[in-house]
Amino acid sequence: MSTDASNEVRLAAESAASRAAHSAADASSQEPSGPSSPRRKGLSERNRPLWMLIPGGVLMIIIIVVPLLLGIFMSTLNLDQYTLRKWVSAPFIGVENFVEAMTSSPLLHSVWLSVSYSLLAMVVTLPLGIAAAVATQNAFKGRAVIRSIFLIPYVLPSFVVATVWRTMLQPDGIVDKALGTVGIDVGLWLNGPQTFWTLVLVQIWASWPFIYLLALSGLQAVDHEVHEASALDGALWWNKLRYVVFPYLKGPLSLAFLIGMLHHINNFTLPFVLFGVPAPADVEVLPILTYVTSFQSFRFGLSAAMAFISLVLIAIPLFVYLRAVKLDDAESPGAKK
Amino acid sequence: MRFRSSSGLAAIVTAAALALTGCGGGSGSTDSSTSADGKVDGTGKTLNVLVNVLSQYPEQQKQWQADIAAKFKAETGADVKFETFASANDELTRIQTSVVSGQGPDVYSLGTTFTPTAYATKAFVTLSDDDWKKVGGKDRFNPATLGISGPDADHQAGIPFVSRPFVMAYNKDLLAAAGIDKPATSWDELAEQAKKMTKDGTFGIATGYKDNFDPWKFIWAMSVQAGNPLVDGNKFKLDDPTVKKAYQTYFGWLTEDKVVDPASVGWSNSNAVAAFASGKAGYLMMTTSSSIPTLDKSEIAGKYEYALMPTIAPGETKSKSDGDAASILSGDNIVVADYSKQKDLAFAYIKLITSKDEQLNYQKIFGDLPANAEALASLTDPKLKPLADAAAKSKATPFTGAWGDMQLGLLNVTVQSVPDLAAGKVDEAALESRIKDSQSKGQASLDRASKG
Repeated sequence: MSTDASNEVRLAAESAASRAAHSAADASSQEPSGPSSPRRKGLSERNRPLWMLIPGGVLMIIIIVVPLLLGIFMSTLNLDQYTLRKWVSAPFIGVENFVEAMTSSPLLHSVWLSVSYSLLAMVVTLPLGIAAAVATQNAFKGRAVIRSIFLIPYVLPSFVVATVWRTMLQPDGIVDKALGTVGIDVGLWLNGPQTFWTLVLVQIWASWPFIYLLALSGLQAVDHEVHEASALDGALWWNKLRYVVFPYLKGPLSLAFLIGMLHHINNFTLPFVLFGVPAPADVEVLPILTYVTSFQSFRFGLSAAMAFISLVLIAIPLFVYLRAVKLDDAESPGAKK
Repeated sequence: MRFRSSSGLAAIVTAAALALTGCGGGSGSTDSSTSADGKVDGTGKTLNVLVNVLSQYPEQQKQWQADIAAKFKAETGADVKFETFASANDELTRIQTSVVSGQGPDVYSLGTTFTPTAYATKAFVTLSDDDWKKVGGKDRFNPATLGISGPDADHQAGIPFVSRPFVMAYNKDLLAAAGIDKPATSWDELAEQAKKMTKDGTFGIATGYKDNFDPWKFIWAMSVQAGNPLVDGNKFKLDDPTVKKAYQTYFGWLTEDKVVDPASVGWSNSNAVAAFASGKAGYLMMTTSSSIPTLDKSEIAGKYEYALMPTIAPGETKSKSDGDAASILSGDNIVVADYSKQKDLAFAYIKLITSKDEQLNYQKIFGDLPANAEALASLTDPKLKPLADAAAKSKATPFTGAWGDMQLGLLNVTVQSVPDLAAGKVDEAALESRIKDSQSKGQASLDRASKG
């Protein structure tokens, strides 16, 4: 789960980085060699070998579209351990699962928890990631080492992160002891109302390097000439950062925000390993709820309905957002023109 | 993505869907290669067996599998291919895919409490009298172990393989120092004894309130012993006063009696074992023979012994359950997949591994008790005596497909009460509302089970 997500994220980061670099190269090459660019564009528009998309397309259909359709189909069935064996002929109950999910299950509470925890984690990681990227932008002795260290939380598998934190946060564990020496008694980390903040905290620790990575890729795209020009204009560091550098970061960071949010909302491993099942009511986030409904209560139909509802709930703001920042338009990779 | 032809896309979707549903067939014909003398001829065949990984004994398990495969080959001419699963989730996934697709391993090893859920899928063979004969006869097994093989004596799918009954361990020195001559037999007595042993950083009882299984086993045991088996026909009885009393007793060790380490609100069973192994606790509750290797390497090696857990419910003077309910019926069952095309071979394999000699051999290597009655009776090691007793006095959890939900509900009451526990007091009204919540969820699940 998390490995998939992180692979996806890594790919996205790479493509964002290369896109940003590409656009920078484009921008610099366009001015001197004006006549060559329309010809290149015409070629790529006219004879795009779309058939080469077929293998990827088929794969996408098999691993995304078909399961999605099956999931929607399942959500209309009364599918549980009694009917699983001949699941295609499980009783069709229409929208009953959806009604149950919305009215008599903790689904909406879970959605609220998932979204609020993801947003909180995101709001904290954004400035952290940007600050780290800016701090390691200029060359200094040992920069490579620092940059590598920054990436450690990101390369550790979620499972490891969660296990280590769980051990540290145990009652009378290392965190409690450390805080105890300065006279702070926080109480339980892994049970009760504070679990929500524990989850946010660990998520922040685990995911800020991702923001850092994308911010770094955005910084790499800032042309040298721009730095020079702003220096000539006498811009001091804050103005330079605010009006010259940050606009370059808008694209990559929008992408980071989007992917990060989706990743947090879908993060199963972290809460599962940190808190176990059944989870305390304050961290019964969407993936945990869906998991428990499927694999502890064996209500496959109901959990498919839950998953579908959450997909729709997430897709609406996602779609609006994608349109707003035009991330789906490959020709304008976010850089303010 | 833009596709030139939408009909092509439709064709691909259809083909993929067909490919996915196509494997949903699967038939259940039995091979008829049994010769007159009852020997099964499996020459050239391969039997697929799914078992759980024994992470404590990786080398020994490989060795055992190789030995069994060789013996099975000599007996039937067929090969055995072992596959392993690492966790209950793994196993569940395998079972689900196999159940849906109608293909997969021929023989599965299942945890006892998971057997009702597996039975509810109807994907496993319910053994006929004839089938029982093929695995060596029903009477070769310890009768208690058959308690969770099926809903009643005529419909049984699970063939007992090993018992892993729950007992408690006690520290002989600590008990003696507190002037206690024998371990407690009632929960009230246990709390009294524990109070005597609690002082200077030593606690009477070691248990983990954050364990994913232990809490519900305590509540189940105390309720059953008070005469409430939790399921009565189509009624889930979590709202019975016996259950509340059980929770209060269990939480009371921490909040009232103060005989457990306050840190145990965050402990799992392994933390409790570690605490007991360091000599800091009089009793280690809810443990099995699998704690032997750890304890024998610890500083209390030779100073501890096992005993039956109390069988008299809190506030009672004698057990109200038929049978003592010393432990949940725990261990492994073996089931044969309904879709298997070599059921006779599967039965022959089960006959081999449940034979007296193989069961004793398995016990020697892995510590799990034999399900084979004769083998169980022949164990002479005094340390194993209480374990064997517990195996004979085990009682099955309710046999219903709804048990998964019920267990979750029982556990959830504890999980949501842990913050109160840590604060030192579990509010009665809050406890009641948590029980009520789990009661209604469990009842809903039971209602579905009776329809399904």
